[in-house]
Amino acid sequence: MSFFDITIPFDQSHLFFPRIITWLLCGLFVLVVIQNARPIISKYRSGGMTELLDLEGFHKFKFFGTVALVVVYFIMMDVVGGWFPNMGFGFLFVSMPFICLMGLMYVHEITRRTLTTIVIVSLASPLLAWFVLARLFHITLP
Amino acid sequence: MEFLSALSPLFFLLIVFGVLVGIIFGSIPGMTATMAVAVCLPLTYALDLTNGLALLLGLYVGGITGGLVPAVLLKIPGTPSSITTTFDGYPMAQRGEGERALKIGIVASLFGGVFSAIILFLFAPILSDFAIKFSYIEKFLIIFLALTVIASLSGNMLMGIFSGVLGVWLSLIGTYSITDGGNGELRLMFDFMVPYLESGFSLLPVLIGLFGLGTVFIEAEQGVKKEVSSQSLRMSDQVRFSMSVFRGKLVNLLRSSSIGTFVGMLPGIGGSAASVLAYTQEKNFSRDPSQMGKGAPQGLVASESANNSLTGGALIPLLSLGIPGDSTTAILIGAFTLQGIQVGPLFIGDNLDTWYTMVFALLVANFVMFAIMFFAIKHIAKVVAVPKYILYPVIIMMCVVGAYAINYGIMFDVWTLFIFGVFGYVAHKVGIEIPPLIIGFILGSSAEIYFVKSLESYGNFMIFFTKSPIAVFLWVLIFMSIAFSIYLNIKSRRKRSDEVETQT
Repeated sequence: MSFFDITIPFDQSHLFFPRIITWLLCGLFVLVVIQNARPIISKYRSGGMTELLDLEGFHKFKFFGTVALVVVYFIMMDVVGGWFPNMGFGFLFVSMPFICLMGLMYVHEITRRTLTTIVIVSLASPLLAWFVLARLFHITLP
Repeated sequence: MEFLSALSPLFFLLIVFGVLVGIIFGSIPGMTATMAVAVCLPLTYALDLTNGLALLLGLYVGGITGGLVPAVLLKIPGTPSSITTTFDGYPMAQRGEGERALKIGIVASLFGGVFSAIILFLFAPILSDFAIKFSYIEKFLIIFLALTVIASLSGNMLMGIFSGVLGVWLSLIGTYSITDGGNGELRLMFDFMVPYLESGFSLLPVLIGLFGLGTVFIEAEQGVKKEVSSQSLRMSDQVRFSMSVFRGKLVNLLRSSSIGTFVGMLPGIGGSAASVLAYTQEKNFSRDPSQMGKGAPQGLVASESANNSLTGGALIPLLSLGIPGDSTTAILIGAFTLQGIQVGPLFIGDNLDTWYTMVFALLVANFVMFAIMFFAIKHIAKVVAVPKYILYPVIIMMCVVGAYAINYGIMFDVWTLFIFGVFGYVAHKVGIEIPPLIIGFILGSSAEIYFVKSLESYGNFMIFFTKSPIAVFLWVLIFMSIAFSIYLNIKSRRKRSDEVETQT
């Protein structure tokens, strides 16, 4: 048997390639850390995490607000969808407040005009998407 | 020409719709052609393959071209591939030649798009015929070559390799599929994940998450910048556009389009590489490069013809080898799978009508793009000012539809969207490169099958080197790409140290 010969038992074959890739990934990770250690440390020393992750001008409210709204949107869509199975109402009724709230969070100045636009879009766009996709095209929606 | 009789008016309408929506996405800074295709994907669920492709190719062409509008008018590249368009387009706009600059870009885009569609038509079948002869070993080596090329041309080589391997690793999560010859066992997951990840992550929710939701998170962190007012756009046409501006620029057009098509063929390399390369080549070969960067039409021509010729180029490896040329064509793989069609060496031969339809759709999309943009550019330019507080929530809504409907109503796919949206944001922060990751993710499970099955059959690692002359040739290409990347690395290091020396 030469050095390059190999036998892969069939019942273990699902682990053969993933093991190679996992080791390769770990090795590469170590190399990436070594290559970047010096700039990472100097950046961290000069300005902490803000400098390291380029977080200057980080809009906490908009970022975490987006994450929270998206999570609530996904959860509520499933819950409401469960009340009216196979109708797509979970999508329709939860998308409306989601678009409205997100629009209000992103808008820079709330005026009567921007507010009207947001309300119209938040009512019309889910309705249009729901009608075209769920009703006309029979695509499954929550 | 039999395929023409199967085309309906809907086919052409969908191309027009796709191009228009693509242009809108491309024109809005922060939104890309990839995002346009990802977001509009659910619309294709109810269409057949021909009409679905019409829409997606329209989006692709429109999205790539649309990027030139904010590049010229605002000095912000709408898509990464229009970065070099800003160099000459914006100075022209400031001189009051905004409309002329846009029209030069549009004509150059049309040339690049049509050129690459012709190359696609001529070259992809030849490559497919060649690739049909490949065994698992050559197929594995092709994937290996693709990953080496991605890594060698990444901004940071080590990070490029790491991102590609991470993509491969992510693709291995789940069952070692029996249908592909595996043993049906699970790997790389904890017990509680089994109900959700038995078949691994679905491709499209991963892509939609990375390009749709991920982009929104990045923009949210930066405070969702206020859109520009339409009054601030410098659209005046003090100097009228005339086709005579292209006199003497045929070589530039041909060279830049060839570069774009070639770069498009290389997997995972973004459009910015194509336009930057074409732009620098024009600078090197031009008789008078002194005006470039100050508003020279030749720079615009190079940049725009190169980035539009990516479209046909990126489709060549997709249709002949099953390897996507860029992020957008990666999503097209998902659209094909959805229709039950496997792209790869057999695709063109087995689906001749679809193949002709695709090339035809690509050509039509380019002409539609030209017609819409050339004659309605004044109105299209206003899209730049569409408020993001309206667009982003609607985009998230469309992402949800795309993810949820892909497997006929699996809520975990929506959560996959969220997971990869957050991952896309984190990757952006820590420098993980998304294109290599996606290519690794798409090709990872095939690479495993080819690799393991080859070793099971031959029982020796050396078979990868000795199987056939093609295998040897592929190894030569792999070593060449590694050598090229090392050369590039040394060159950039030398340049950096020279810069430091001159500064001190």
